[in-house]
Amino acid sequence: MVKKLIAVDKLPAFWSHLAGQGKLFLPVKAGLTVLFKEWTEGDEVTLDAPTSAVSPKDIFFPREETYMRYQCRGQTTELSAGEELGPVTAFGVHPCDLKAIEMLDRVYINQDPPDELYQSRREKTTVVALGCTAPDPFCFCGVMGVDPLSAPGADVMAHLDLQRGNLILEAQTPKGVMLLKGAGSLLAEPNGKTFTPAPVKTADFGMKLEGLSESLKERFDDPVWDKLFRSCLGCGVCTYVCPTCYCFDVEDYGHEMAGERFRCWDSCMYGHFTQMAGGHNPRPSRKERVRQRFLHKLQYYPETYGELACVGCGRCLRSCPVNLDIVQAIKALGGEQDVQR
Amino acid sequence: MCSANPLMPQTATVLDITAETPDIKTLRVSGKDGLPFEFMPGQCAMLSIPPVGEAIFSITSSPTCRDCLEFSIKEVGAVSGALHALAPGAQIGIRGPYGNGFPVEEMKGKDLLFIGGGIGLAPLRSLIGYCFANRKDYGQIDIVYGARSPADLIRKSEVKETWAEQPNTNVHLTVDAEFPDWQGHVGFVPTYVAELAFTPQGKVAITCGPPIMIKFVLQALEKLGFADDQVITTLEMRMKCGVGKCGRCNIGPVYVCKDGPVFSLAELNKLPTEY
Repeated sequence: MVKKLIAVDKLPAFWSHLAGQGKLFLPVKAGLTVLFKEWTEGDEVTLDAPTSAVSPKDIFFPREETYMRYQCRGQTTELSAGEELGPVTAFGVHPCDLKAIEMLDRVYINQDPPDELYQSRREKTTVVALGCTAPDPFCFCGVMGVDPLSAPGADVMAHLDLQRGNLILEAQTPKGVMLLKGAGSLLAEPNGKTFTPAPVKTADFGMKLEGLSESLKERFDDPVWDKLFRSCLGCGVCTYVCPTCYCFDVEDYGHEMAGERFRCWDSCMYGHFTQMAGGHNPRPSRKERVRQRFLHKLQYYPETYGELACVGCGRCLRSCPVNLDIVQAIKALGGEQDVQR
Repeated sequence: MCSANPLMPQTATVLDITAETPDIKTLRVSGKDGLPFEFMPGQCAMLSIPPVGEAIFSITSSPTCRDCLEFSIKEVGAVSGALHALAPGAQIGIRGPYGNGFPVEEMKGKDLLFIGGGIGLAPLRSLIGYCFANRKDYGQIDIVYGARSPADLIRKSEVKETWAEQPNTNVHLTVDAEFPDWQGHVGFVPTYVAELAFTPQGKVAITCGPPIMIKFVLQALEKLGFADDQVITTLEMRMKCGVGKCGRCNIGPVYVCKDGPVFSLAELNKLPTEY
């Protein structure tokens, strides 16, 4: 496949070129954090930073997405679909985050009926993955089976050669070849010098995952749930930053004559999430909701799709105000290595 | 307007609206050319009225009724309230059908015992109509139906006149308490089921009603000797998508909107009790 190289200081010209082809999303410095956002000239792009504060899943599954407009005249109602989308480039996606998007693919694309909104964004997006150079102390992708230096599902795999000040780009799909060839002379031919990315080590926090999913099948009524939820504030930040969370709400916005219907991210940590119109709620307290979130990641998703719905990105560890993150949950549920004394 | 987006509704017209009880109305709804979509008894549809929103309802008409879909809807929230307030001729959004439906093939050759309470008759009525339209495929049909008061029984004339007149069919009505103009049975549905002492041989029981009724009906059926795979119920959950993605209606790894809403008691017993 095609392999190219670009000096890091020439990257803004490359981004400007990509932004001319469609929307370009990349990790940009925003105050003290890094966020995936649509690129504009002068943005401070940070390719050597740890993972972004919020996952790039919103490139494919936006926080809010209008998909229908309505017009009502008297008794007549007209419903029309939203606009067609243009091409997108997602640049600098970490292997953990791409792995999470592949987990969403199973639900949104492979499971009938496919979610057309998600699927068309996925098809129209070229993903340039970036090998990790700066994991932070919260990262634990290795224990979740993610290689921080490789993303086989990406269209282009990129690596930063910090020593020589280059970004090395290798196409992995026909879409990736098009992206690299389309850049013309902005990208140079590889200089013949071999580059091996520096090994990246992430924490394992003493977790042991073998047999965890299987053991949880019988533990829906386990007393551990009576304790585990108590510190939860129900703020829902874990579900917003999590790259494998995909629940959504559907609401209307407008008045009686015209408006739109949109979907937006929702959270199983909120009480109204399962509250029925008649008042009944199958998950009435934080206990049931915390149990739902962790069992979904650690048992329900694995039972359906064969692996844990966690990529070890560490975002819930960084964000949860009471440290009720997935590592704490896994360990409380028995997923802990024997401590050698 | 044609979209592959499974969340995109089509427009449908409300043909007429009948008040069944003080809080239940039946809407007859038709697409541009008759039925908006083909479906099986027990399946559901998303109805919407912008800007109020969307909610899921079971289809109460039988698929053998070819000119429209019927929905018997109790007013409990925003969307059901807005549907109640419509006038005939109004247009709404509709999408579906969703869910697995009743196992009409496996039920063939069996005697059927329907047990409904209040608005719980709505999904059962679709199956009852289907069985009557294919009468030779099914054995004896018993229908136990109850409500709080005579005024809360839905489809009264159809139940009393049409259903009770079908061959090899018995209708057993009951209300929770004595009422001046009520000559029929008085008592809760589960107690009545026990009194009627149905035998389980060759029978399938299909029940829907308020959760508390279902709970005691299941106990009554167990006492009468019904095995868990002879008892079928249909569940209700909050839903937004209807296609197993929005994450609201799961019980363990099972999504009620696509894997249900119809479950045998044997299937339900394998799931966490979170419904």
